[in-house]
Amino acid sequence: MATKTDRSSATAIGLDWMSVTLVLGGVLLLYYVAPMVTLLLSVPTSDVVAQMSDPVVVSAAQTSLLAASISTVLATLFGLPLAYWLARTDGFAPKVILAVVVLPLVLPPTVSGIVLLTVVGPGSPIGTAAGSVGLPLTRSLAGVVLAQTFVASPFVVVTAKSAFESVDRTLEYASRSLGKSRWTTARNVTLPLAGPGILAGVTLAFARAMGEFGATMMVAYYPRTMPVQIWVAFKSLGLDSAYPVAILLVVISVVALLVLNTVASNPWE
Amino acid sequence: MTLDISGLSKTYGEFAFGPVELTVGEEVLAVLGPSGSGKTTLLSLIAGITSPDSGAIRLHGRDLVGRPPEARRVGIVFQEGALFPHMTARENIEYAAETAERVEELAAVLELDDVLERRPTALSGGERQRVALARTLATEPDALLLDEPLSSLDAPIQKRLREELHGLFASLAIPVLYVTHDQRTATALGDRIAIVRDGDLEQVGTPSAVLDRPASRFVARFTGNENLFEGRAVDRTPDGLRIEIDDLDLQTTVTDIPTQTATACIHPSRVIVEAPGDSEAENTVTGTVVHRLNEGGEYQIDIQFDRVDRTLTASVRPPTVERLSIETGARLRVRIPPESIHLIPA
Repeated sequence: MATKTDRSSATAIGLDWMSVTLVLGGVLLLYYVAPMVTLLLSVPTSDVVAQMSDPVVVSAAQTSLLAASISTVLATLFGLPLAYWLARTDGFAPKVILAVVVLPLVLPPTVSGIVLLTVVGPGSPIGTAAGSVGLPLTRSLAGVVLAQTFVASPFVVVTAKSAFESVDRTLEYASRSLGKSRWTTARNVTLPLAGPGILAGVTLAFARAMGEFGATMMVAYYPRTMPVQIWVAFKSLGLDSAYPVAILLVVISVVALLVLNTVASNPWE
Repeated sequence: MTLDISGLSKTYGEFAFGPVELTVGEEVLAVLGPSGSGKTTLLSLIAGITSPDSGAIRLHGRDLVGRPPEARRVGIVFQEGALFPHMTARENIEYAAETAERVEELAAVLELDDVLERRPTALSGGERQRVALARTLATEPDALLLDEPLSSLDAPIQKRLREELHGLFASLAIPVLYVTHDQRTATALGDRIAIVRDGDLEQVGTPSAVLDRPASRFVARFTGNENLFEGRAVDRTPDGLRIEIDDLDLQTTVTDIPTQTATACIHPSRVIVEAPGDSEAENTVTGTVVHRLNEGGEYQIDIQFDRVDRTLTASVRPPTVERLSIETGARLRVRIPPESIHLIPA
């Protein structure tokens, strides 16, 4: 009995593989959790609350929330149709297009910023034209939105694509054979069934947009978003003054995580 | 209402479907074949899920090729029902129905009143298929396609639903194509049976024609006829041809075949088993039982002949098995009625 021999030899060592995974994994887990706890413990709660009402912090929070919301809406508006197309088209073209979609995910954010500046920067034709009609695309809310959308929208496309793919095509054929158009079918059958997955993509995009720093720095240093504000505070006044905004961002991240694990379907589960 | 298919073909990589010629009137055509033979491809082409490489599909005079599924008025019931999981049974049917009365009417016909408010996950397999059927019929299609709707159900439910479908199909005045790999379902429901093999129609005919007079060895085997013997036509009597299988000489009622050699095909249910006797009357052979298999309603008995090295399978009802004490090693005499020998030209 080969299996019996194997089992007894494993116990002979005294440590089975599951215990090893637990110990090694535990080290990593501790490395994630400990900094969060020390961050929350490093400033008295009263200080944090007091600093929350600082106009600079309030303004950064407003900019971040507004810009990230707009970016998320834009990413969803343009990302969902692309995700549907990618999920329902066979052949080589979708593979190439998916690679293009994933590009902003793997590109270093500062490089994304540089790439964007070549298109919407003050010297570029589009940047100049927009500036002349009073809608500058850099150092403006529009700039923040452009940077965030570029970096965050792939999350909507990639996650919604797998959500659409998880909807059995037979259900769509069933709907169409009942005389319903592609659009009616998408609205009544595919979208509701892919809903939790789409929500996951939207949540991830929002979380990514909230945290966007590199590309935003390059394209729109002003108005300051929370990540930029953290950096500015850290550079000019030191670590302590960066804590409140950082804690605020941790809270937002935790809320996003809660959404992912409750109403949305966590794509990594 | 007629469904006319001509020159229909479709190639996927190695698999070539067609060209198929088929006309289905206001009847039930059971499409019978092994998995991978192209049964589902045929349905997909008619429903518009796949487009053909060539050929025409006309329903009630309308050309369907090139039209999207939603513009074909072809209803399709999928294997697992394909009910929308986020809708209740009622919502599923309402999605397709024009009026609320239609929903009530179909729920009554298909006995769904008690389960209308349930989600598909809370329905049994049989209920799910009935809801799927109600949903498809709600659109009042010009043709109805069913893709193995009973195959995932337990045997008793399968049998009951088969009976219900039989009655329901009779009330429909549209072409019905029923795909199955189960010969019992095909014979029970089909007004005609189409046997599909490797993407082609091997034989189309009434259930008795296909079962009793298979056009090929494949059709014979697939419809449960294992008794295929290579033989030679040796004599022509007023009653029909005499055929010689090795040393065995059998009288048939077949008047003529285009070739000298032929495959004699004897359906197991047409074979008569008797107690071994001294005299060998016409078309009787003595042998020994080499295998006995209880299939529930009947026994499959394999009999090894004494004179020639051949084994014949007979379906025998339990009372006969008991009366003749048929078990492995028992001696039996087999009578093959001349009219039950079908010849497939070689």
